[in-house]
Amino acid sequence: MFKKILIANRGEIACRVMKTARRMGIATVAVYSEADRDAMHVDIADEAVCIGPAPSRDSYLAIDKIIAACKQTGAEAVHPGYGFLSENQEFSRRLEESGVVFIGPKHHSVAAMGDKIASKKLAIEAGVSTIPGYNDAIADARHAVEIAGGIGYPVMIKASAGGGGKGLRVAFDDREAFEGFESCRNEARNSFGDDRVFIEKFVEGPHHIEIQIIADAHGNTVYLLERECSIQRRHQKVIEEAPSPFIDDTIRKAMGEQAVALARAVNYQSAGTVEFVVGSDKSFYFLEMNTRLQVEHPVTEMITGVDLVELMIRVAAGEKLPFAQADIKPNGWAVECRINAEDPFRSFLPSIGRLVKYRPPEAIEGQVRVDTGVYEGCEISMYYDSMIAKLICHGATRDQAILRMRDALNAFVIRGVGSNIPFQAALMQHPRFMSGIFTTAFIAEEYPNGFVAADVPHDDPGLLAAVAAFARRRYIDWAVKIGDQMPGHERKVGNRWVVVAGETQYPVAEMAIPGGYSVTHGADRYDLVSDWKFAEPVFRGACNGVPICMQLERIGLKYRVGHFGKQIEAMVMTEAAALLLARMPVKAPPDLSKYLLSPMPGLLREVSVHPGQQVSAGEKLAVIEAMKMENILKAERDCKVKKVVAVAGESLSVDQVIVEFE
Amino acid sequence: MHDIIRQLEVKRAAACLGGGQKRIDSQHAKGKLTARERIDLLLDADSFEEWDMFKEHRCTDFGMAEQSVPGDGVVTGYGTINGRLIFVFSQDFTVFGGSLSEAHAEKICKVMDHAIKVGAPVIGLNDSGGARIQEGVASLGGYADVFQRNVMASGVIPQISLIMGPCAGGAVYSPSMTDFIFMVKDSSYMFVTGPEVVRTVTHEDVTAEELGGAVTHTGKSGVADLAFENDVEALMMVRRFVGFLPASNRHKPPVVPSQDPAERLDFSLDTLVPDNPNKPYDIKELIVKTVDDGDFFELQPDYAKNIVIGFGRMDGSPVGIVANQPLVLAGCLDIKSAIKAARFVRYCDAFNIPVITFVDVPGFMPGTAQEYGGIIKHGAKLLYAYAECTVPKITVITRKAYGGAYDVMSSKHLRGDVNFAWPSAEIAVMGPKGAVEIIFREEKGNPEKLAAREAEYKAKFANPFVAGARGYIDDVIMPNETRKRICRSLAMLRDKKQENPWRKHGNIPL
Repeated sequence: MFKKILIANRGEIACRVMKTARRMGIATVAVYSEADRDAMHVDIADEAVCIGPAPSRDSYLAIDKIIAACKQTGAEAVHPGYGFLSENQEFSRRLEESGVVFIGPKHHSVAAMGDKIASKKLAIEAGVSTIPGYNDAIADARHAVEIAGGIGYPVMIKASAGGGGKGLRVAFDDREAFEGFESCRNEARNSFGDDRVFIEKFVEGPHHIEIQIIADAHGNTVYLLERECSIQRRHQKVIEEAPSPFIDDTIRKAMGEQAVALARAVNYQSAGTVEFVVGSDKSFYFLEMNTRLQVEHPVTEMITGVDLVELMIRVAAGEKLPFAQADIKPNGWAVECRINAEDPFRSFLPSIGRLVKYRPPEAIEGQVRVDTGVYEGCEISMYYDSMIAKLICHGATRDQAILRMRDALNAFVIRGVGSNIPFQAALMQHPRFMSGIFTTAFIAEEYPNGFVAADVPHDDPGLLAAVAAFARRRYIDWAVKIGDQMPGHERKVGNRWVVVAGETQYPVAEMAIPGGYSVTHGADRYDLVSDWKFAEPVFRGACNGVPICMQLERIGLKYRVGHFGKQIEAMVMTEAAALLLARMPVKAPPDLSKYLLSPMPGLLREVSVHPGQQVSAGEKLAVIEAMKMENILKAERDCKVKKVVAVAGESLSVDQVIVEFE
Repeated sequence: MHDIIRQLEVKRAAACLGGGQKRIDSQHAKGKLTARERIDLLLDADSFEEWDMFKEHRCTDFGMAEQSVPGDGVVTGYGTINGRLIFVFSQDFTVFGGSLSEAHAEKICKVMDHAIKVGAPVIGLNDSGGARIQEGVASLGGYADVFQRNVMASGVIPQISLIMGPCAGGAVYSPSMTDFIFMVKDSSYMFVTGPEVVRTVTHEDVTAEELGGAVTHTGKSGVADLAFENDVEALMMVRRFVGFLPASNRHKPPVVPSQDPAERLDFSLDTLVPDNPNKPYDIKELIVKTVDDGDFFELQPDYAKNIVIGFGRMDGSPVGIVANQPLVLAGCLDIKSAIKAARFVRYCDAFNIPVITFVDVPGFMPGTAQEYGGIIKHGAKLLYAYAECTVPKITVITRKAYGGAYDVMSSKHLRGDVNFAWPSAEIAVMGPKGAVEIIFREEKGNPEKLAAREAEYKAKFANPFVAGARGYIDDVIMPNETRKRICRSLAMLRDKKQENPWRKHGNIPL
């Protein structure tokens, strides 16, 4: 076994690999870019080597520097994690040449599977079911239309080197096929430097289901069941689970066996994933093989009890798999939520900056697992992926796993940067998700206009109001302990209050009970007990004896309460005040479409327009420098500039007005 | 006797109705509450003791003899906020537009006199069209009587003005001399001359809101400290705000037993200051993570944002916080920020509230705009305020403390009681780059040599040790222990006694 390995990655996956290595008694070496000096993976590694500036191509993708780091530290093997160099044949080949073991498949397998067209041919030869389509590079758009007609619409047009939704089009007729081919080829050329494009049948009602395989150097290949990854947003996976609620044992077995056949065909060693698209009729077709550890591998680990990273290391060291196919039995259900630094309320724009607060839920062996690569006070930089953690919950049944996930999400606190936690929590509550009947179009269908937390239904909105009332009462009971009161004329706190959440008013009656307050709203009574303190972002306690956990934050006079993806902002006041508040004018929020707002904090480098100027959509309006990067703000539509509000050189905060339009 | 009681009831009912139901409805239609509704929300339930409900004006000119409303357009008295004594006057716009008559002014003066006598804050709820023109000079005299009391009360009892409607002309000068001015958005405005006069005199076309609305005064002029959405929120926030203020300069600030451990550490602060000295960070994160329960009551958040001021509590006791904000203008001191902070420091000093200063200041803002504007005089205000201040002063240098700005920001030399520095602190005359360009001017043509000099200067001064060696810094502390160290220092300074030499008053550069 290796004595020391280097992890050529960052973030949660680097930390996760190190955890296993440490358990196996293997010393770990981290590599890091200058932007990651204070990163968690650097901190937990036994040794760390700086490999260059922040941009990935100068650090995490710099093969020479990583090999040099191996030499410098005496690392015998490299685990590449996912992304970065994990599927780079040159990297694994160069490592091999340098006498360092690549903890992953041999480079010939990577090469065979790295090209979509070549891999499909291989799959057909191995007897794997593939999507009807044209598997050679297509000459031009006219040719593309011909082929599409032959396959039958709808068809999918894909870049050969593409992935993750990039370079992908769906066409429903000749015209769309023609245009789709052109734009797909352009995108492929620009993004991947490879303009080969192919066309295949577009599977309707598609599910994305993938088979995890693991193979050793002794000819043993085992499939570790499937993962359901259909919950995707713009082709990016959001939630993964294992097993899939969609397929049955027969299909599972058929898919697993085909995946194994394919792995054998390329003499695969290490962990890998064979992705399939499964139609609504349960027909399944091979999509591609990922020759690396996947982001969502923990759901497989939780239901099979294996440690995939450990197996990868052992296989790379020449050991035999410690189990056979017959030993693999699923245990319960596991669900994973990807926790991304992005703002679900602003069309999921990546959110960067300082993690002012970061409190992941408590890990519970066998129930809740948190794979994280960040900590409170660290910086989320714009240079790398926005995924900062993964939350994985296990249960005996799917429902139980989902329930645990809901609780865990309720307890997960991220402040300073936006996070998709409210969105994940809403998904975990969605009846269609809970039913297990959904396709890859789920998010697009259910949230066509984006995500609004206030719209998320909640079984018991009164509970959120009751928690706001609790928080306010605890504040008042504290505030009335103030010194310097008029003796004999201390404030008498009343028991009738009104929780005002937007346009809804909840009149409540409160009564002190041991450890908390009993809050009654109409016929509903909430006996809330908690030792919550004002600055705590999570309200933990019990409601009518049942444990509850909510997000709770005080913002001026308001309390923001979040539970199961639902969020309210509430003020709590006396009945008299609530009555008078109702007289206050409702101020329409300003029409922001008339303004160019700063999307991020930064320095205003220039304003490129002047008052009275007519600008057309796409024209440059201003340049903001943030995190050393110039961000060009463009006009979203044709308009006329009324006023330039901010001046060049000014420091902007988020949503600060830069230009006003007419 | 029975008859008198009946008359009393009639008079009370009339007083409570102010200018009548029609005018009350009109007040409501403008999104404003009545004078009495406001008092009800401001004070603890059933705590209001009203005075001079039956007071009436004495004017007989212009038909005023026939028009008289008991109370004469202002409701006055006292009550409690969380059990603490507060004097209050609330102008009633439904009665003669809340205009100030001689009698109206006398009512205000009466509560102010009492407040000074017993030592309790005065809160004024302003909603007045201005002077009672029918009364002429008597009304002006009334204003001046109030002004005089504002000045006598200044530094003796806290005075808070909540502008909830018009406040124009001479009327603005009473709030302007109080300690804090809060406004209600869209329904309040303050100006010395209104839009019509402005149009005639300077030909500027401007609305009342643009000229003197809440946004103008909290963002542009700095006249007001905070703006609130509506009357209800404003009054609820004022209730919260007075919890930070002592009853008078004879009292200690009010303590609320803390539930936030004084020894609490926060390790996330260890990464607050970025490695790159030119990269900004948000000083408010440090403030929020340092004070009790993260409860920081910021004042003037939209004005001179390069300095942050406000109240918080440390281990239950109120403190005033002044902090350079690296996010805005790199935290430079300029005219506006110096004035903003100077007045706040003096307030804290007058009312026995310890001052905590977080320093990250690269210096004074250069440029003609600043020099012509008198940065010398205005910058000196902050220097004067800190130097004069005798309450406990604790200073934490988080990063840059350059040049004269280092001296100004509650340095040891200005009788800072406890001066801490974080390991990232750099205390020097200026940044390394600027310094070597001056010291080694002759090496200007040799960038390599200059870079070496810069590194040398950096190694020598870009740390807290030089200042520490001279005792200008009492200790270098880890960011994570900032709260703990401040709490301890405050406990140590609890009975601090320091007096300035007797004088009539100092001569602060105004």
